[in-house]
Amino acid sequence: MTTQLAPETVPATQPASAPAIELLHAARWYGNVVAVNDISFSLGAGVTGLLGPNGAGKTTLLHMLAGFLAPSAGTVKVLGQSPHRNPSVYRQIGLVPEREAVYPFLTGRDYVKFNARLQGMRDPDGAARAAIARVGLEDAMDRAIGTYSKGMRQRVKVAGSLVHDPQVLLLDEPFNGMDPRQRIAMMDLLGDLAGAGRTILFSSHILEEVEQVGTEILVMVAGRLAASGDFRAIRALMTDRPHTVTVRSSDDRRLATTLMADPTVFAVELTPNGLSVQTAQLGAFRRILAGSSRSAGVRLLEVLSADESLESVFDYLVGR
Amino acid sequence: MALIETTGLTKHYGPVKALDQLDLMVEPGIIGLVGANGAGKSTLLKILLGLLSPTSGRATVLGMDTVRETRAIRQVVGYMPEHDCLPPDVGATDFVTHMARISGLPRTAARERTAEVLRHVGLYEERYRQIGGYSTGMKQRVKLAQALVHDPKVLLLDEPTNGLDPSGRDEMLDLIKRTGTDFGITVVVASHLLGEIEQVCGYLLAIDAGHLLQAAPISHFTQRTPVLAVEVEEGADRLAAALSSRGARARQDGNRVLVAIESDALYDSVRDLVADLALPLIRIQQERGRLEDLFRDAPTAGSLQ
Repeated sequence: MTTQLAPETVPATQPASAPAIELLHAARWYGNVVAVNDISFSLGAGVTGLLGPNGAGKTTLLHMLAGFLAPSAGTVKVLGQSPHRNPSVYRQIGLVPEREAVYPFLTGRDYVKFNARLQGMRDPDGAARAAIARVGLEDAMDRAIGTYSKGMRQRVKVAGSLVHDPQVLLLDEPFNGMDPRQRIAMMDLLGDLAGAGRTILFSSHILEEVEQVGTEILVMVAGRLAASGDFRAIRALMTDRPHTVTVRSSDDRRLATTLMADPTVFAVELTPNGLSVQTAQLGAFRRILAGSSRSAGVRLLEVLSADESLESVFDYLVGR
Repeated sequence: MALIETTGLTKHYGPVKALDQLDLMVEPGIIGLVGANGAGKSTLLKILLGLLSPTSGRATVLGMDTVRETRAIRQVVGYMPEHDCLPPDVGATDFVTHMARISGLPRTAARERTAEVLRHVGLYEERYRQIGGYSTGMKQRVKLAQALVHDPKVLLLDEPTNGLDPSGRDEMLDLIKRTGTDFGITVVVASHLLGEIEQVCGYLLAIDAGHLLQAAPISHFTQRTPVLAVEVEEGADRLAAALSSRGARARQDGNRVLVAIESDALYDSVRDLVADLALPLIRIQQERGRLEDLFRDAPTAGSLQ
């Protein structure tokens, strides 16, 4: 995926192999409500987090990719084809919807098996069993879904979406309702699938979790794509926001004097928690910090880049 | 006196043991309650509210028995349920006033308290609109307001940030923190998000399979460890090798090098080697324990792996 910050620009270069997901000026409106507004991006293998405030259009985007909705304008392609009303593409897509609605009277095994039959699999029983094992629900697979906890319902939905081993996996808030252990296991599962060459797009509100799964993100704000790519690369493009590095040392005042003399630094502040150093050239500053400390004869105790996190990038893009 | 205390608390639903001889004690403060799904969190909250009777054992809230003194307990406990439980066709003011009246407040006091708590949770002109048209964040605020309206001493919050987007979460967490400190009441927050618990709570209760797994101040879990993490943009392998050749116990982990802090001289070695190798230095930080480790070390049959 190419990194982009400006929502208007179309990805300039396409990867050599055809991307699994490709949108070109895609839009979707409901009456006068514009849910998705002129979005272009492409995704290849790997895992990507889809972020944005409530109402940004994340679910509409996922539903267009899953073939539920046709774009009102522009094109949406999954594995080179339009997914809308295209069952041959459905065979390659797994979707975990946000809604918790799963037939309460079915057992977990039957639910997953029906999904396998829906996808026309030759051995629905074997496929269902394998998918259930992947999410660790074997013990509960013969119980009715109505008796499941929220985390178990989420996992049975994931099993249902994985049963036909799709190339593209779309998940809408998959971690909702999962407990810490289940979250960790689900993250590992997504990582494994991405490592096996699948294309995974998942929406989430929990930025710490997205950061743990991967660094590739799509950020939507009010129906538009605010940014896409590796969030660290996006951070580097935000040139109007200087980088702040916090440094604790054996002698902050002495280090401040030395750092101030360096051209990469434009402000240094003494705070109770150490030095707050502002730089516009983060890469260059990172190369001189250790050497400058040595020539000042100061011991470096802690170096932190507080505003390099996904949360900081997200805040900037959403403008909160 | 402990605010909440349980001794040998057990609850069976048929053959399923939701709580099994649970002993715990809650001191004043903001307390995080975590546990796997099915660990018994909701059952515990329901017993504390007097909605369920234990199979055996007992629980007390402010010294009052949850079975025999249910009414007295409800006067001092506020509860914010997890599920969507608000009537869609009334305004927040009417609903919260009604809840205050149910708690026994006189009409005038109910109105005044309602105005106060709605302002506290950050609902202003929209409080006269019908709740059905509210956003998730606004609904969560109404749920919190109704839990606070009768001036409780203990607040039980079940997944208060469920469904909120990042800014909604931050606002709710801030509100919970202010509620605990400004009103000086004890808040128990049940949540699956450990980062959130770390942010607002001072104390952690972890239950697993109906037992108490851990009970300790948050700082106990996030203590510094004698390991220094050094993150560089490139050359982590060379840095790890150079540190090892100087006799330090160092290990590469992606673009990080983890090295044991055996003496303060290590800091100088790190600085000098990073300078000598001309590596772009991203971070130097002493490693801390993480709440997550509590759940990583002991995977059970219920987990995904």
